[in-house]
Amino acid sequence: MPLYNFKTIKVVPTGKDFIDIVLSRTQRQTPTVVHNGWAITRIRSFYMRKVKYTQSNWGEKLTQILDDFPKVDDIHPFYADLLNVLYDKDHFKLALGQLNMARNLIGKVAQDYVRLLKYGDSLYRCKQLKRAALGRMCTIMKKQTASLAYLEQVRQHMSRLPSIDPNTRTLLVCGYPNVGKSSFMNKITRADVDVQPYAFTTKSLFIGHMDYKYLRWQVIDTPGILDRPLEERNTIEMQSVTALAHLRAAVLYIVDISEQCGYTIAQQAALFHSIKPLFASKPLLVVANKTDAASLEALSPEDQAILRELVVEAAKTSAGAGVVLDAEALAREANLQKMSTLTEEGVMDVKQLACDRLLASRVEMKLQGKRVKDITNRIHVAQPQSRDGSGGAAEPSSARPTCIPASVLAKRAAATSGAMPSQPALDAEETELQLQERLGGAGVYSADLRKRWQLANPGWKYDIAPEIIEGHNIADFIDPDIEAKLAALEAEEDALAAASEGIDMDLDELTPEEMELLSQIKDRRRVLVAAHRRRKSAANNNPVMPRGRDVERNINTDEMKKSLDWMGYNTEKAVSRARGQSRLGRKRTRSEGPAGMDVDGVADGDVDMEPPKKRIHSSKSRSMSRGRALSIAEPGAGKGFRDASQRNKAVKISDKAMRKRGKQARRGEGDRHIPDLKPKHLLTGKRGKGKTDRR
Amino acid sequence: MATRCQFESSSEVGVFAQLTNAYCLVATGRSENFYSIFEAELAEHIPVIKTSVSGTRLVGRVTVGNRNGLLMPNSATDQELQHVRNSLPDEVVVQRIDERLSALGNCIACNDYVALAHPDIDRETEEIVADVLGVEVFRQSISNNVLVGSNCKFTNQGGLVHPQTSVEDLDELASLLQVPLVAGTVNRGSGVIGAGLLANDWSAFCGLDTTATELQVIESVFKLRDSQPSNIVNELRASLVESLA
Repeated sequence: MPLYNFKTIKVVPTGKDFIDIVLSRTQRQTPTVVHNGWAITRIRSFYMRKVKYTQSNWGEKLTQILDDFPKVDDIHPFYADLLNVLYDKDHFKLALGQLNMARNLIGKVAQDYVRLLKYGDSLYRCKQLKRAALGRMCTIMKKQTASLAYLEQVRQHMSRLPSIDPNTRTLLVCGYPNVGKSSFMNKITRADVDVQPYAFTTKSLFIGHMDYKYLRWQVIDTPGILDRPLEERNTIEMQSVTALAHLRAAVLYIVDISEQCGYTIAQQAALFHSIKPLFASKPLLVVANKTDAASLEALSPEDQAILRELVVEAAKTSAGAGVVLDAEALAREANLQKMSTLTEEGVMDVKQLACDRLLASRVEMKLQGKRVKDITNRIHVAQPQSRDGSGGAAEPSSARPTCIPASVLAKRAAATSGAMPSQPALDAEETELQLQERLGGAGVYSADLRKRWQLANPGWKYDIAPEIIEGHNIADFIDPDIEAKLAALEAEEDALAAASEGIDMDLDELTPEEMELLSQIKDRRRVLVAAHRRRKSAANNNPVMPRGRDVERNINTDEMKKSLDWMGYNTEKAVSRARGQSRLGRKRTRSEGPAGMDVDGVADGDVDMEPPKKRIHSSKSRSMSRGRALSIAEPGAGKGFRDASQRNKAVKISDKAMRKRGKQARRGEGDRHIPDLKPKHLLTGKRGKGKTDRR
Repeated sequence: MATRCQFESSSEVGVFAQLTNAYCLVATGRSENFYSIFEAELAEHIPVIKTSVSGTRLVGRVTVGNRNGLLMPNSATDQELQHVRNSLPDEVVVQRIDERLSALGNCIACNDYVALAHPDIDRETEEIVADVLGVEVFRQSISNNVLVGSNCKFTNQGGLVHPQTSVEDLDELASLLQVPLVAGTVNRGSGVIGAGLLANDWSAFCGLDTTATELQVIESVFKLRDSQPSNIVNELRASLVESLA
């Protein structure tokens, strides 16, 4: 995780937006309704709350901005200087300082106006005081518009800075413009920095990462530097200088020996000498680049001399000011590295040499620190001492040989000699994973656990072996004739069921209790039947829609004929049988004889007479066909009646009384009716204390 | 060659497998991924046995063994014992032991010649360990921790112990075990070596979180791929100092 992450700084709003944000927040978050009739203390506190809330809102936002931006004096000097170069430290500090001052001023304004509000004597005055307070706060912030805009720009730029860890292992690539710094970076990392054949392609610091010796290294590509006094350097060059000055990194000073960059070797050496102080006591490597275009040997003697001097000077600078190098160390340290980023010749050598030198210097420094004591055990390999008391180093290999199977050794030998390519043998068994994938995947595939059993006879592998749980063989607990026993049980069950079917109920055999129970059941049944019948007969009182009015039931002969024709029936007979037609045109005829006339002469129950000719709708025929009288009401008197017959009578009278109303679908007294849902006398006028249903 | 692997997204591979010079126990999982890592690497040389122990998958923590034998806890079922017995060659003795500290893998660490045991382990158990595994047994603790099986891993070639073991303790342990030892970590700084690492004389398996530096230390101290423990002092020293201090 990077130590310095400027990407999390919150957006700084412009002055106008800032005012809108804070005021609308106040409006949303504080109460908005105030009444003239309120007590004055309540009105005052209403407005005080608004003023205080606005102030705390400003305070909160400004504090966040002030906390988010790094304090130039607190951060690593590399970043402090980089901020200075890029954004001008004074300007930056001033902007933040002004915001801090604005915060304090707003606090003071709020304090003053809250005090004044205590003396507000009306809603209007209080409101004016609140307006004045908020207005003054906004004016203060309006004056900060420029600072806010500047800080927003800085924030945007900072969030795009590469996250350079100033304390980790770093290679720093520097030199004149266009000498191949970015090409080198692209060769050893995957940073993909833009490379173009003109000066100042790289305008800011770029960072790439690589692995070497199991460690993660960062490589910083710097913009090119020109040889001129520090004061005349531009922002782009100053970023390089900042990185060189503050990062404890291995520096690669790249020299273009082909002079294709437009600067002579002498000029490049001059630059080296002028920025030499920045390299003091850092691992430093002078690298001659573009050896594909010009070989070192082909250079003029003067240039060669310059380069030699450069290298010696580099070795001296690298060793530090106080150290005097002897000839041997000088010879070891001072050698010019050659590489060509085009052909990649020597690039890896340069990288390794630089990394090794930096690592060595860092380790040396760490070994002088305190923390190395905590890890001495990690870099110590404890070698066994002989236990027989002789005190010498033990020889474990003789007494305690390792146990490596011959097949492993054979495989290793084959791999090292290269006789057999280390690919799996073709007849190698399919692995369980491959089997699983082939046979349905995880969760479906069920592995064969016995596949690799090593038994005396491989044929035994899938034998059914006794399964033993807690020392007991499961087979011992299995009854061999369990099937027969189960069959016997089932047969017995069937016999019992068959026997129970033949049992007849005999009333004579009932005990008195059972008789009692039976009569109760019968009574209950009678009640239910009667209730049902009554409901059925009462339903006759329901209104009936006249057929002519009912569209759905509007059936006449024509309709019937039409529909039957459509269905393909012969309608002749049906139509001729229809009642309407039979009546149509029928004349009154004279009655034939006295037998037909004598309607009322036949007494009920006179069965001896020969049956009369068929009469339709005569009361006689009706009474003859009628069964026994139905009890309408359920048995038992109850509910104020003397007996069942009285009750039946009452029920009949009631049904009859309801019949007309029912048929005509009139409203009866049983129908629920609310004459007036909102009686005016209950709902108009003032309400007294404690009465909700009377006025 | 040390292989990085994972059991059902857990890097504590030492919990779910047990590796010795003569066999390898692997826990039954939902899929064959974990098993097949071992199968591909080892199956042509030694039996790789997929099993549960007492119904759990904590195969590596509840069993202990070497090329001579395998000790299973009292709670291991007869079926499991039978399955393991059938899968192993006859030279390997499988024994179920009645020990109160039933996580044998945590309490005992051993190679083919010497074993370290929890100080509170039964005398009988100690004798059984000596007999079945054919080792000398020492009651020891590592960096004031009695769970020797969790905090170290050693083979006939070398061993890795908990990172907080002092240099004096390291030397003493090395003489006791007669193998070179180094203090180190697995799984990006975990000190529970037994849980994160499986090793025998020619191969090793560690959790997926293990860093490159940790892997190099492991390969060097267990002499895998022709590395030597002296590499730690010579070649790896700078990297170790740089990354740790």
